[in-house]
Amino acid sequence: MDRRTVLKGLAGAGGLALSGGLSAPAIAQGAAARTLRFVPQANLANFDPIWGTQYVVRNAAAMVWDTLYGIDSSFQPQRQMVESEQVSDDGTTWIFKLRSGLKFHDGEPVLSKDVVASLNRWAVRDPMGLMIKALQQELTAVDDRTFKWVLKQPFPKMLFALGKNNAPVAFIMPERIAQTDPFKQISEYVGSGPLKFAKAEWVPGAKAVFEKFTDYVPRQEKPSWLAGGKQVMVDRVEWVIMPDAATAAAALQNGEVDWWENPIADLVPVLKKNKNISVDIGDPLGNIGSFRMNFLYPPFNDVKARRAVMMALSQEDYMRAIVGDDNSLWKSLPSYFTPDTPLYTEMGGEILKGKRDLDAAKKLLAESGYSGQPVTCLVAQDQPITKAMGDVTADLLKQLGMNVDFVATDWGTVGARRAQKTPPGQGGWNMFHTWHAGADCVNPAAYTAIRATGDKAWFGWPTSPGTEKEVASWFEAKNIDEEKAAIGRLNKAAMDDVVYAPTGFFLGYTAWRKNVSGVTKGPVPLFWGVSKSA
Amino acid sequence: MLSYILRRIVATLPVMAIVALFVFSLLYIAPGDPAVVIAGDQASPEDVERIRQSLGLDRPFLIQFGSWVWRILHGDLGTSIFTNLPVSTMIGQRLGPTLSLMIVTLLLTIVVAVPLGVLAAWKAGSLIDRVIMGFAVFGFSLPVFVVGYILAYIFALELEWLPVQGYTPLTQGFWPWLQNLILPAIALGCVYIALVARITRAAMLEVLQQDYIRTARAKGMGQGGILFIHALKNAAVPIVTVIGIGIALLIGGAVVTESVFAIPGLGRLTIDAILRRDYPVIQGIVLLFSFVYVLVNLMIDVTYTLVDPRIRY
Repeated sequence: MDRRTVLKGLAGAGGLALSGGLSAPAIAQGAAARTLRFVPQANLANFDPIWGTQYVVRNAAAMVWDTLYGIDSSFQPQRQMVESEQVSDDGTTWIFKLRSGLKFHDGEPVLSKDVVASLNRWAVRDPMGLMIKALQQELTAVDDRTFKWVLKQPFPKMLFALGKNNAPVAFIMPERIAQTDPFKQISEYVGSGPLKFAKAEWVPGAKAVFEKFTDYVPRQEKPSWLAGGKQVMVDRVEWVIMPDAATAAAALQNGEVDWWENPIADLVPVLKKNKNISVDIGDPLGNIGSFRMNFLYPPFNDVKARRAVMMALSQEDYMRAIVGDDNSLWKSLPSYFTPDTPLYTEMGGEILKGKRDLDAAKKLLAESGYSGQPVTCLVAQDQPITKAMGDVTADLLKQLGMNVDFVATDWGTVGARRAQKTPPGQGGWNMFHTWHAGADCVNPAAYTAIRATGDKAWFGWPTSPGTEKEVASWFEAKNIDEEKAAIGRLNKAAMDDVVYAPTGFFLGYTAWRKNVSGVTKGPVPLFWGVSKSA
Repeated sequence: MLSYILRRIVATLPVMAIVALFVFSLLYIAPGDPAVVIAGDQASPEDVERIRQSLGLDRPFLIQFGSWVWRILHGDLGTSIFTNLPVSTMIGQRLGPTLSLMIVTLLLTIVVAVPLGVLAAWKAGSLIDRVIMGFAVFGFSLPVFVVGYILAYIFALELEWLPVQGYTPLTQGFWPWLQNLILPAIALGCVYIALVARITRAAMLEVLQQDYIRTARAKGMGQGGILFIHALKNAAVPIVTVIGIGIALLIGGAVVTESVFAIPGLGRLTIDAILRRDYPVIQGIVLLFSFVYVLVNLMIDVTYTLVDPRIRY
C-alpha cells in the first residue's frame, strides 16, 4: 500500500458518501411558491396522536386525520365528518351518520367500522373517552355510514368529547391501523384529513412534509378552528424543525421560512421591526403557569402551608419572568380557568388578588407546623418557562423562611421524578413547575391538573372532595347556566384546598411573512385558508 | 502492513464492547424516562407505566442489555422508541450532512491552518507571527455558537450572500451544497484552525533548527522549497496526529454547529435523542462515533508511514 492508493481510496469513499449514496434531506431548498414552510414549536418525533399526546403531535395530526366533530371558536362542537346525529329521549343511545364521499388518503372510503375501531382505541387513552367507556353498553357499526353508541346512562358531553381539541383527540383512522394497541405506536399514517403525510420525506428532528389531499371534500361552512370547511390553499406544507430560536428568527427574516409558530418574547421586537413580517398572538387561549405541591408529605400535606404559599405569591413576578415587559402578553389569574372563555370565573380566587401579605403568609406557615425541613423544588432548566418560574418560586420560599432544596435539572428528569411517591429525601419531591395550555383549561373535560382524586390524581396527588363533586356537577350539567354555576363552585373548592398554584395567564406570539395570508388565531396552528404569494 | 491493519481492526472489537457496556449502563442509571415524554404532560401514571411496559423498559438490566447485544451482533441497531424508525435508517438520514460538514471543515482547516502555521514559524517573533498566534488564541477562546451567530448575522442577514440555515445534498448541485456549509464550516473550524496552526508552528520551529535545513539553505535552495518540501514533511507527524485527534473536536463541535445552523446531522440527532431519552438512538450513535474515532486513529497510524518512511509496522 502506498500513499497514492490510500489517497485514492479516501477520495472514493468520501465521494460515494456525498454524492447520493447516503440519503440526505433538502432543508434549505428554494421553496416553490405553493409550498408553505413552517417552523413548529417542537420536533415531530413521533406521529401517533393516540400513543403520544404531545401538543406538537396533535397539531400535525389535525392536518392528516379528520374528526367526527370539531370545536369552533365559540367552544361549540360542530359536525365535521358526521352528517347527522340522533339521541334517544333518555339520552343513552346515540346514532351517528357519516357524510358521504369521505375517503382515506389510500383511496379507501371511510366506513363506520373505521370509526368504531378508532373510537375504541381513543377511548382507552382519553379521560373523557374512559368516562364514556365506563358507561358503554355497545359501540357498533350499523351500516357503512351509520354507527351506534349505546350507554347505560346519559353522557351530555358526548359531542364535546368527540370534537375537543385536547390531546388525545378522537381522530378517525382506517380500521386496520386503529386496531393497534393504544399503548403501541402505529407505523402507517393514513388519515382522511385535508393533507397527507409524506412519510418518505419525514426526517424526525429536521422536517416533516404534508401534501394537499386532492380528494378531500371540505364542508361548506366557514372554517372556525377545527370546525367548518378546511380548504387547503397550498400544495405542500413543510415543517422545518429549528431547535434554536435565533436561527428561526434569522431564517424568517431572510425568507427561508414563511411562518414561525412561537417566537420567543426576546426576539419579537426584532421581528416587529421587519417590514416583511407580521406578528400577532397565536393561540388566544394561551397558557396557565403553575406549580404543584405534593399533598403526600410535609409541609404541603397541610392546607395551611399550601395557602401560605398562595397568599404570598405574586403572579406579576412570575409573568414578567416568563414574558418580560410586554404587558399585552400576560394577565393575573385568580382562577383555575382560561380567561375570556364562557365558563371563566374568579369565585374563590380572592387569595390571589390584591397586595401580597408576606407577614400573614409567614404566620399561616408557622401554624402549619413547618419547622425548617428542606423543601425539594424540581426545576427543569431546559424549559425557559419552568426555569423562569422556578427562580421566582425559590425566592418566594426563601422570603417565607423556607429551606429550599433547589433541584436544577432537565425536563426529562422532572418528568420521571415527579411520578415518585417516595418522601422528598428519598427520590421524591415537594414542588415542581409546569404550565397548562389554556385550551385544556376552558372546562374540566380534559383538565387533568384540576382533578383532585388523591392517589389517582395527577402528580402531587391532591385530595379535594369538594373539587371532585363539582367536576361531576359540570359533567351532569344540562345547560350553560348549570355549567357556569358548577365551575364557580369548583373554582372555589379548588382554591380553598389549593389543588395547585396558578402563577398567571400568558400568551405567545406567532410570526409570518407578509406574502402569507390567512393565518388565524387558534388553539392549534390552522393551515386551511392559508395561502402564499410568490 | 495489511496484517497490522487487520490486527488493529480486530483490536477494536473489545474497545467497542467496553464502550457498548459503558453506554448502556450509563443510560440505564441516568435519570429520566422516555415513557413520560411519550405519554405527554397530561397522561396518568398508569398510562406511563403501560407505555413503559410496552417498550420493555420495565425489564431487568441484564435482560435489556442481553437483547440489545444480541441485536447488535445480528447487525440490528434497534428501533427508535419515538419515531418507530430503525436506528440505522435515522443515522443514514443524518450521515450525509454531518460528513459534509466535517469534510468541508477539515479541508478548510488544512488549507488555512497549515500555511498559517508554516508562515508563523518562518517569521517567528515577527509581527506576522504575533498576529497569527493572536488569531489562534482568539479562535480557541470564542465559542462555536458565538462565531456562528456573528457569521449568520453578517453574511446571511446583512449581506444576504449565504443562507442562514439548512442543508442541501450534493446531488442537487455543488454550489447549493457548498453555500449551506460555508458558514457552519468556518464557525466549527475556528478552534480547529487555531489548534492546527499552533501545532504546525511548533513542529516547524523545531525542524527549521535542524542541520539538514541549514545545509539546504547553504546549497542555495529557495525558501519555499525548504519550508514545504524539507521542513513541512518532517514536521508532518505531530500535525497529522493533531488533525486526527481534532476529529473528536469536530464531532463535539458539530452538535452545537448543527443546532445553530439547523443542519439535520448526527449532532442534532444526538441532542434530540438525549433530551427524549431515546436509548436505542443514543446507543447507536455513540457506537458509531466510537467506531469512527478508532478508525481515525488507525488511519493516522497508517498515514505516519506515508509521511515518514522510517516508520514501519
